[in-house]
Amino acid sequence: MRCDNIRDRLDVLWDGQLPAEFLEHVKECSSCSQYQRDLRLVRAGFQLWKREVPVKPSLGFAERLVRQLSELSKTPSVSDFFERVGRRFVYATLVLTLLALLALTLPPTGPVRGLGAADIQISAQEASLAYSDPIGETGVQEPPDAAPLEGPAPAVTNEGK
Amino acid sequence: MENSGAQVAQEIQWIKRAQQGDSEAFGPLVQKHQQRVFSLVYHLVRRRDEVEDLAQEIFIKAFRAVRSYNFQSSFATWLSRIATNHCYDYLRHERASRVSFYWQMGENSQQELEANAESQPEQVLDHEEQTVLKDLVDKLLKRAPEDDRKILVLKELQDYSVEEIAETLKLKPTTVKVRLHRARKRMLEDLRHWREENKGHAL
Repeated sequence: MRCDNIRDRLDVLWDGQLPAEFLEHVKECSSCSQYQRDLRLVRAGFQLWKREVPVKPSLGFAERLVRQLSELSKTPSVSDFFERVGRRFVYATLVLTLLALLALTLPPTGPVRGLGAADIQISAQEASLAYSDPIGETGVQEPPDAAPLEGPAPAVTNEGK
Repeated sequence: MENSGAQVAQEIQWIKRAQQGDSEAFGPLVQKHQQRVFSLVYHLVRRRDEVEDLAQEIFIKAFRAVRSYNFQSSFATWLSRIATNHCYDYLRHERASRVSFYWQMGENSQQELEANAESQPEQVLDHEEQTVLKDLVDKLLKRAPEDDRKILVLKELQDYSVEEIAETLKLKPTTVKVRLHRARKRMLEDLRHWREENKGHAL
């Protein structure tokens, strides 16, 4: 008989007595004998714990608890607070994400956003100034082939030729 | 039988009112189940001074979660589940001590204790020996993996049936049987290793 066989019958050993053939082995085998003694120790320890009189609730435990619960339900708990704040944070993030997506998908110009006609005019004027006077020493000059920005094109005449 | 049916109906009423936020209705539920919860907490943590505080936290947790109770298991089982989980959250922060009174006994006293532990330990062992033995089991439970501890406490200390353990831990009864066997075996193996480590430390 192998020692493993005894240990596999642990449930029988734990809850009752081992069959005679196992007992003979236990008597002869010091390792299994120690195993059986350990088992008895542990089982006895559990029995002692089980018989211990458990702690009883102190007088008025339930009443005090109910009072505490009604006070707690009057004031929202920390978790409720975080739940509420968390929910608002999620909504705000969703709105911001939607706005960011809209901004990315809309065309860069147009009535909603982008440069208006007035902005274009100012930009063009600034560009022409920079071209004519890159170092700022001379006065304002027209670029050689700058087209007028608005109004009819100047009439080309042969006067003085 | 009729009385029991009326009690169940009454309990359902209290639970439904508590689910609406009525803390007054939770009072009778506390009164009905407090002894069971106290006993379970005591066996799980084995510290008298902590039991009432832990039980209070468990009932507050249960009241806050009572809306999630769906009447699938008994209220007592549902409460036991909350108590077990809460105690293990508490115990997770406790480190197992490496010292047990058992290893401080002389070799002869150890052998005497082993021999006396064979039958009726509460009658044969004196107060000191009982303390040593309880301390040994307490330390072994603290050293055991969490799943083993839960199942051993419910079975060996709370005397739950396999079916009750299965319901409390949300396991199949066959799984409970296998795990119980494994937990007992592991605990004895641990004791054997611990004995090897402490060889020569005995006085």
